[in-house]
Amino acid sequence: MQYEPTLDRAALIEFACQTYFGAVDRKDMDGTLACFHDEASLTVQTSFTTHAGKAAIQRMFTDFFAGYATIVHKDFTCTVDEANGRIAASFEAVLTAADGSVTRLNNTNFWKFRDGRFQEVHVYMSGANVLI
Amino acid sequence: MSDWHDAGPGQVALPYPFYADIVTKRYFDGVDNKNLTQVLNCFTPDAILTEATSNTVHHGRDTAIAAMFQKLFADFEAIWHGNFVHVGDPASNSICSQFTVLITPNGGEQLRYENCNRFYLKDRLFHRVTVYMSGANLLQPGDA
Repeated sequence: MQYEPTLDRAALIEFACQTYFGAVDRKDMDGTLACFHDEASLTVQTSFTTHAGKAAIQRMFTDFFAGYATIVHKDFTCTVDEANGRIAASFEAVLTAADGSVTRLNNTNFWKFRDGRFQEVHVYMSGANVLI
Repeated sequence: MSDWHDAGPGQVALPYPFYADIVTKRYFDGVDNKNLTQVLNCFTPDAILTEATSNTVHHGRDTAIAAMFQKLFADFEAIWHGNFVHVGDPASNSICSQFTVLITPNGGEQLRYENCNRFYLKDRLFHRVTVYMSGANLLQPGDA
């Protein structure tokens, strides 16, 4: 499905890397969910796991936020397809558990936008799926 | 461009179709048809190809990358890449692609993968490629 692009390059990068991951790293559930359409999907492709619809996405983030004391996403390298309303980014996720153990992942996300919010998100992880 | 880095500044933008075409009509067409010369012609001599899900790194077009593809072509009787979704970015001279892989080991059952690649170009060639696989790594080191 192709959607009419509405955000420019800077806005796509800002939304994906700052608005979205900023909210995730603050464990701001409302801010995180505001990035998604109600019928959006988030798929962890490297483990064939799909969370379909905002309720399922919220349930996944509830568990994800509870599973780690701190969550940091950083060092983004963005590839932006402004003409088609899509962006991909590689980044490092640093997840620190309550016992101090640290999980580091070098992941790549693909975001497809519709009307300024996520319609489809695909996550490719370098390790075991943490978005269960 | 001695200070080149992935999608970094100083890149010369190519027309948007160039990016989809080098990925599909040149690179993966070469892979699917086991045309090693066509595949290697897409890379810079000092290219690096990394399989991220197993952290397997292949350094050098004519050494490790060539050996890896020779092993892939020898170990699998059929290879197909399709169902592409591209994120093409002339401004950063890069393209990221999602796709399906249907691949059959010699004498075995067909496997289906849903993978993605990140391609960062230097001028008109792949300089850094990162592969994520939805299953076990198929891009094993060959006998370089």
